[in-house]
Amino acid sequence: MRARAVALATLASVSIVGIGWQLGSSAIEASQSLTASSGGTAMAATVTATTDAAARAAAAAKGAADVAAAAKAQADTANTAASAQAAADAAAANAAAAAQAAATAAAATAAQAAAQSGTFTGAVVQTQYGNMQVSVTIANGAITEVLPLQLTNRGGRSVGISNQAAPILRSEVLTAQSAKVQNVSGATYTSEGYLRSLQSALDTAGF
Amino acid sequence: MVGDYEGMPARTFATMGTVVSLRLGDFAAAVDCAAVEAVETVFRRWDERFSLYREDSELSRIARGDIRLTEASKSLRTCYALALDWRERTQGVFTPHRADGVIDLSGVVKALAIAEAGAVLTVSSPANWSINAGGDVLVGGNAGHPEWVVAIVDPGNRSEVIANVPLGYLLRAVATSGSAERGEHIWTALNGEPSPFRQVSVFAADIVTADVLATAIVAGGESTLNEMTERFAVDALAVLRDGQLLVTPGLRRTA
Repeated sequence: MRARAVALATLASVSIVGIGWQLGSSAIEASQSLTASSGGTAMAATVTATTDAAARAAAAAKGAADVAAAAKAQADTANTAASAQAAADAAAANAAAAAQAAATAAAATAAQAAAQSGTFTGAVVQTQYGNMQVSVTIANGAITEVLPLQLTNRGGRSVGISNQAAPILRSEVLTAQSAKVQNVSGATYTSEGYLRSLQSALDTAGF
Repeated sequence: MVGDYEGMPARTFATMGTVVSLRLGDFAAAVDCAAVEAVETVFRRWDERFSLYREDSELSRIARGDIRLTEASKSLRTCYALALDWRERTQGVFTPHRADGVIDLSGVVKALAIAEAGAVLTVSSPANWSINAGGDVLVGGNAGHPEWVVAIVDPGNRSEVIANVPLGYLLRAVATSGSAERGEHIWTALNGEPSPFRQVSVFAADIVTADVLATAIVAGGESTLNEMTERFAVDALAVLRDGQLLVTPGLRRTA
């Protein structure tokens, strides 16, 4: 279910990039902001697009958000684990954010109409889940790759689509409020190794 | 850095070449003894049936060709099927076969024993408990208990810890794999290259998932780490060879 939600969200992201590129290539200078509501998920995707393409961009953004919303709804009806729900939420957020960032990237391509190929970086978009940014690689007018540069995560435990491990400093690792530690996890110790282990010290101190 | 925990003494016993530490929260004294015995029995049964270092184990007899897999007990075949299923899920990085082709279920047996012991404790009393078998930890899921905290050991200095992480609903299991305690006991899937990770800890809702994925990530390197954290509802803390940490967002300190 989560895999499906992620797949749908990815599909949504890719399709909006595709539409954005086509719009961008037929661009005129004037641009305006418009907002497309996402039907049901209380999310808004703001898309910067050319005037004559505005309506189509809005429809496309809505479409992307709808796909994400559908993924979310599926998770709802299936009454799956909380993680699937959370993944769908994140997927929905990511789809909307990707739509926005990708549209910005597409606008950038329009500005450089001469350049038909290259990698374009979208603006950093703030979503309720955190910052989101994508880059789009275009070769001969066709999108070859969409890469997330910044991924979102939800407060507390991480979820699905944004659950990538990243380098951090030791001081940035989660630390429990309670100072009481009952167990130690490390690579498996032998019976003899146990005697020298922290766990052994804890077990003895437990009395 | 490691604090103490009054009023909750640990019971320990040796099994499977390591030591199991058992903490029984609010058990009455009589229940307590029975519970410890029941848990010991669970581990002994798994060890007797699935250990390759015991010549008389069922798995050793299969390895020698004394009995065929089709003649093996249902529980052995179920266990093998589960291990094969995990091979699929990890794209072959985790495998229940030794390099010489012998079926080796040691990658899942300890975790399955922990899981069964946990189930036994949950049935005998709804009180809180924690089981630590050689560094793989499962805690009871009772709400309202002061959080269980597990320290992740520093592979560079085993008397230090990297993090103190609360365990509980939803992620109440953690397993750590690596080369810190027993040398390079994991075959890597990296064309003979040593693993980029010195140690990998995986937090999951169940101990089998945690244990299998920790092993798979050490064996498969960073691509497996990324793949598994995307596909499973887990958190991971990986220590690179140079001591640097790779951590999923759920294990980051929130401001």
